[in-house]
Amino acid sequence: MPRDAISKVIMQLMAQLQWPAAVGARGLSWLWKRSRRVAVAAVVVVAVVKVRAYVQKQQRRKRWEAAGQDVVVLHMFVRGKNLPNLSPFVLKLETYLRMADIKYEVDYEEPMGSKGKSPWITLNGQDLADSQFVMEHLASKFNKDFSSHLSREEKATAHALRIMLENNTLWGLAYWRYVQDGGRAILTGMYVPFFVRLSLTAFVRHFKKLIWMQGMGRHSPHDIEYLCKQDLAALATHLGDKDFLMGDKPTEVDCAVFGFLCQLMYASAGSPYARMLETDFPNLRSYCLRVKDKFWPDWNACLDPPQPVS
Amino acid sequence: MRAPGGLGAMVLRWLGGGGRRPLAITAVVMGVVVVVKTVLCVRRRQRRARWGEAGKGVVVLHIFPRGTSCPSLSPFVVKLETYLRLACIPYLVDFEKPLGPKGKCPWVSLDGEEIGDSHLIIQHLSERFNRHLSSHLSGEQRATAHAMRVMMEEHFFWCNVVWRWVEDRKCTVSSLTHWGTLLPFHHVYRPLVSLLLRHQASMQGVGRHSWPQVYSMAWEDLHALSVYLGGKKYLTGDELTEDDCGVFGMLSQVVWCSPGSPLLSAVQDNFPNLIVYCQRVRERLWPDWNRCLNPPLPDNSLLDASV
Repeated sequence: MPRDAISKVIMQLMAQLQWPAAVGARGLSWLWKRSRRVAVAAVVVVAVVKVRAYVQKQQRRKRWEAAGQDVVVLHMFVRGKNLPNLSPFVLKLETYLRMADIKYEVDYEEPMGSKGKSPWITLNGQDLADSQFVMEHLASKFNKDFSSHLSREEKATAHALRIMLENNTLWGLAYWRYVQDGGRAILTGMYVPFFVRLSLTAFVRHFKKLIWMQGMGRHSPHDIEYLCKQDLAALATHLGDKDFLMGDKPTEVDCAVFGFLCQLMYASAGSPYARMLETDFPNLRSYCLRVKDKFWPDWNACLDPPQPVS
Repeated sequence: MRAPGGLGAMVLRWLGGGGRRPLAITAVVMGVVVVVKTVLCVRRRQRRARWGEAGKGVVVLHIFPRGTSCPSLSPFVVKLETYLRLACIPYLVDFEKPLGPKGKCPWVSLDGEEIGDSHLIIQHLSERFNRHLSSHLSGEQRATAHAMRVMMEEHFFWCNVVWRWVEDRKCTVSSLTHWGTLLPFHHVYRPLVSLLLRHQASMQGVGRHSWPQVYSMAWEDLHALSVYLGGKKYLTGDELTEDDCGVFGMLSQVVWCSPGSPLLSAVQDNFPNLIVYCQRVRERLWPDWNRCLNPPLPDNSLLDASV
């Protein structure tokens, strides 16, 4: 069959397919015209890679299903050197699973879920993303409600404090981590694959653009520090000298606040926020240690590399 | 070299390179560019001179054009202008240059100084004019009001963006503004702004969820705010504070700028105290609300009898 006819068929396929496959088809058509052997070799290599990835994914799925009925498979990034995870949302969800005494297993092979976010879970074959939606689903399924003793006003305040931390203060921390610190705390705080280390500049530039789009990145570092200090001050004032954020008993909001504060205490050395916890808001620091002692007695064993449990 | 300068240099090299392309075209293009740049520079200086004439201690507030049902389609413009009225700070409005030093709106010029971001402006003005509207509150009250304001401005704001610019198939935003004199808003500006904000909402995180999930998140925020407000006159009690301005700015977008939206229905059906609160703030600080619309309405006419 003439080469031109084959390339015409490929071009027709391109018109039907979506753009990534269309680009691939155009490249294949170009290759076919120049060398049939190389084009066939390229197709075989891509097919082998795709089949291997598919088979590995099916094997992973079988392993997750083998976890057992009602056992959560928690998909997340690898452990950190000084804290169990450098993502505040992973730490939030894992703390909740411990607080609610829900059996779970950890998976590091597929940390990013359907929304391009981490963590996410698989439970009885069903995938769920976003830490807050996961917590609400698990609360309903396992009938766990740690906020039932709170008044409506207290629940409203807890909600607002959590949203404030996760949608405002977090961006200030992200600015320090990726723009001011250039990702160094990430590199030294967890295992990062070699090819990701090489593309760190592109990674940092992507985050810089992300933070600019959100809005926080348009301020000066001084203004960002000022805005975040106001948030931490509000949190510290509300906590006061209570054991936990809403009183004597831990609630769901404590998981979110703990997950965030751990990032400041253990993964942001040299940042203005770590200094604020020591000098301006010592009650937040002692609160963080209190929650850690209660729900993470095996903290040292959850580090990478694991440390002796004292 | 910066991108526009680099592109311009490439175009000039292409125009001037080779004897086939007449130098006359190059000269004409350069001449046009120089004239346009000069005119823009002169206009910029004239604008600055006009702003300077406003007077010492008079804030020049730079904002988007007025809306048809609300003084602005931006919650932060409504927030800042409400604060200026609450704090009795004299101000003039400028519509010519709405985007400021941080590429955001609103921004202000005051005695030759330019400041961006509504929250930072309010902090600056409260120090400059010695207006501390929250000094009577306890630390706990201030902390909770702060959290409520940040929740509305940094989270609910994005839920509203997703509705207004992504989910609203009827594009009601086009009927709420007369933006765009050279090119039509609905067919040109709206699709471009929609694309940009869709991307920004996805980068922020809220935009990655499905609409039912976004709606449930927005509902939780409104519920928390409604419970916190309760039967109080204003957010923290009987007196208005800076945080009321932020919350009012955000709620004004739902109450007056979201006709037919599920968010407005949620507020009307489940959180009527938020509507009463908005009407109370509007009566107190915006007696000339109708005159601040585009086109202005008679003072005694109401756009919507229910709100």
